[in-house]
Amino acid sequence: MNYATRVYDDILQTLPNVDNPTPMVRVNRLNPAPAFPLYAKLEWFNPFGSVKDRAAYYLIRDMQRHGGLSPARGIVEPTSGNTGISLAAMCAALGYRMRAVVPNRVPQEKKVLLKIAGAELDVVNDDVCPSPGMGEGSINLAKTYAKAQSERYAMPNQYENEENVRAHYETTGPEIWRQTEGRLTHLFLSLGTCGTVTGCSRYLKGRNPAVKVIAVQPSEGHDVPGLRNITQLDVSKLFDPTLIDEILEIDYHLAYTRALDLAQQEGLLAGPSAGLIFEGAHRIVARDRAGFGVMIFPDNVFKYVSSMLKHLPQLTDGTVPRSGGPGERVHE
Amino acid sequence: MSDYAHPDVLVSTDWVRAHLGQPGVRLVEVDVDTQAYAAGHLPGAIGWNWQTQLQDRLTRDILAKAAFEELVGNAGIANDDTVVLYGDHSNWFAAYAFWLLAQYGHRDVRLMNGGRAKWLNEPDRPLTPTPAAIAPTRYTASGPNLALRARVAEVLEASHRRAAKLVDVRSPDEFTGKVIAPPGMTETAQRGGHIPGAKSVPWNSAVNPDGTFKSRPELEAIYLRGAGLDPTGKTIAYCRIGERSSHTWFVLTYLLGFANVKNYDGSWTEYGSMVGLPIEREA
Repeated sequence: MNYATRVYDDILQTLPNVDNPTPMVRVNRLNPAPAFPLYAKLEWFNPFGSVKDRAAYYLIRDMQRHGGLSPARGIVEPTSGNTGISLAAMCAALGYRMRAVVPNRVPQEKKVLLKIAGAELDVVNDDVCPSPGMGEGSINLAKTYAKAQSERYAMPNQYENEENVRAHYETTGPEIWRQTEGRLTHLFLSLGTCGTVTGCSRYLKGRNPAVKVIAVQPSEGHDVPGLRNITQLDVSKLFDPTLIDEILEIDYHLAYTRALDLAQQEGLLAGPSAGLIFEGAHRIVARDRAGFGVMIFPDNVFKYVSSMLKHLPQLTDGTVPRSGGPGERVHE
Repeated sequence: MSDYAHPDVLVSTDWVRAHLGQPGVRLVEVDVDTQAYAAGHLPGAIGWNWQTQLQDRLTRDILAKAAFEELVGNAGIANDDTVVLYGDHSNWFAAYAFWLLAQYGHRDVRLMNGGRAKWLNEPDRPLTPTPAAIAPTRYTASGPNLALRARVAEVLEASHRRAAKLVDVRSPDEFTGKVIAPPGMTETAQRGGHIPGAKSVPWNSAVNPDGTFKSRPELEAIYLRGAGLDPTGKTIAYCRIGERSSHTWFVLTYLLGFANVKNYDGSWTEYGSMVGLPIEREA
């Protein structure tokens, strides 16, 4: 593959790897300590717009290798959106059926994107008086399809599948190591399925055990899609606390205000989970003052317009004509 | 399960597995998420939709006897069948259907402990998307047994005169009035809060992480010593629309052996919307 010319035989060839990494961009105006360079790894440069492309590809590839997929047997997966979009687009490219089971709290943009990408969609109200440990409706409904209709659906299960970890161990981790030329001291990321943190940490600490891995999580009751508070992590079998040096819990409202800061002061059109990660990184940089940090920004803000409006209602100001309308102003 | 007051009304997933397809045993799935049955259910189970089948939508009431007989008969259930109910959310609406069947006098009705999530997450438990074949029956109901159901006048009496203990089984945020209903729910009320004098014991106090019921000593610690309920006195359970309180009604009646428990199915959607009724609010 010639990544210099950027001409490909199919969309899957654009997936990142150590020779074709997603970009890392330095944070300048918002960095509180110049002796602590801080870079954002922009995962929205993945072909389907998020870090989840990496895991999705490994999950599908593994199922293909083991004969789990066919034109008659596609995929069902519980997803907060990004994994579903990645899987749906890849299934479209490869000719498989895809069914996405999403919690109702997922922003409308993501639900529509899933349909645009060709997924059959089930929306589940996961927040109805939940009980700790009793499982989540979206996961259980996806499992039901996989069990009751196994001739039509296989479930990769991103929450338990080691391929999710392997994707980051073999791509994201080595990319960061090469892009930082081994100078990395702090890695900042968020917790969801925990595939990213477990894979990256396993690789990077293998290269340098002194690398600090700092996970940033939203406060309880949050509405940041794809992320989990520590109390919600029992669903992920990929969570390995021994690979995480520090977990910061941050008021989830800051996910949205910091995303706005990144857009307006750095030109980084980052999504709310990236905003949350940035807030965590900012606190550590201000505390430690020296180091070399990389933040993994999962996706950009384009899918979160409705979420941004909910938290930052002032964004609607000036988005409609002033009273009287443009026709009237012509005559002012 | 053997130390419960009436252990015969609770069956394990193993029991159900052993009785799949057995004549005289009818499985009925009732879920909060009404798309779950179509995705997959226990072989032979029929599905009831709580939104369209378990209430009279015109009168906003439980099914009238004739409609109930039609529902049960069309499900192929005979009067002497063993009916095993199960569903999602640790059997919320399965317990509601249990309460309905009990009111109309079905003799042998049971809950599958842990509900559909327990079955789903155990190995080697079959599921199918194929609807069960049904041979309708002529079903004859008795009742309804009004001793199982509280209406608003009785609830007011309980609140004013402490004639019965009220148990609010909703989430803490609904009890305090921080929210009127869980997010995304369309059945709601005009105000947030709770009925004066009610004790807050969220429904999920009664279940283990796998959705099964806690042991009798654990339940006694919660409902007797913790909430101060009296097994020999009168108790009324309520929630938002009567399904979570059916779950607690089942716990108090069958697992702890309370003598007089009623489910107030009008619950907060009724009480919280009535003009002039006192409420308490902490938020």
